Amino acid sequence: FRFKDSLAEELQSADLVISHAGAGSCLEALEKGKPLIVVINDKLMDNHQLELARQLHRDGCVLYCNCSTLVETLQSMNLSALKPFPPGQPEKFASFLDKVFGLQ
Amino acid sequence: LVVAGSGGHTTEILRLLSCLSESYSPRHYVLADSDNMSEAKIRSFEEKRAETFSKSQFSLDRIPRSREVRQSWISSVVTTLYSILYSLPLTYKRKPDLILCNGPGTCVPVCLSAFLLGLLRIKRTIIVYVESICRVETLSLSGKILYYFSDYFIVQWPDLKKKYPKSVYLGRIV
Repeated sequence: FRFKDSLAEELQSADLVISHAGAGSCLEALEKGKPLIVVINDKLMDNHQLELARQLHRDGCVLYCNCSTLVETLQSMNLSALKPFPPGQPEKFASFLDKVFGLQ
Repeated sequence: LVVAGSGGHTTEILRLLSCLSESYSPRHYVLADSDNMSEAKIRSFEEKRAETFSKSQFSLDRIPRSREVRQSWISSVVTTLYSILYSLPLTYKRKPDLILCNGPGTCVPVCLSAFLLGLLRIKRTIIVYVESICRVETLSLSGKILYYFSDYFIVQWPDLKKKYPKSVYLGRIV
């Protein structure tokens, strides 16, 4: 398929996810605990996409490569070395705002 | 008043709203006129919320998009000024106590309008800007501008806190 409203079902049943570096795509896959390989498009490079992919790679949560090294990456990958991605904590934000407005 | 931007921005901001109590009500969402997907996400979020908080209220307003992706700097100033013509009466009408935004171009005219209303002593609104989680090392253009106009500027990665010392670092909150 080309476009779907949500990939949640596909993600749930996948063993490995290969994605571009969009934040939404990466986070959705990581939150479902799926091993993720992020492919950076050198030509269409949107700088800020790269920042998140790089950081996730530094944290050991994803593998990353570009279009030409994808095959190599697939052949030599060690998915068990990937670290789990801890979820974000919106409660901290709520707590912060409550303090700002004196609601705590 | 919550500013919703295209796609990822809206998803992030709804996550930020997810833990807020009903004190933060009614919620007025502002969207760019060309954004369709965000409206659906917002309605879905509010419907779910109404299951727990039956008196929950919200509204949706639209203003012209202030900037297209990769639009030139000069034309962006013009289109943003045009958007302010819409955001100013809207902000005046809603007189929000709090404006929450996370980076889409749409938030610049809205926040500047609120800032202006504050200067004119018409309404003092607290402006809270949360930079998107994809911004690890550099700020978005909206972020660079609103760093100077927001009351609280929240970043999600420590590098940004170092570079922008007046920001607030709470770790990853989406």
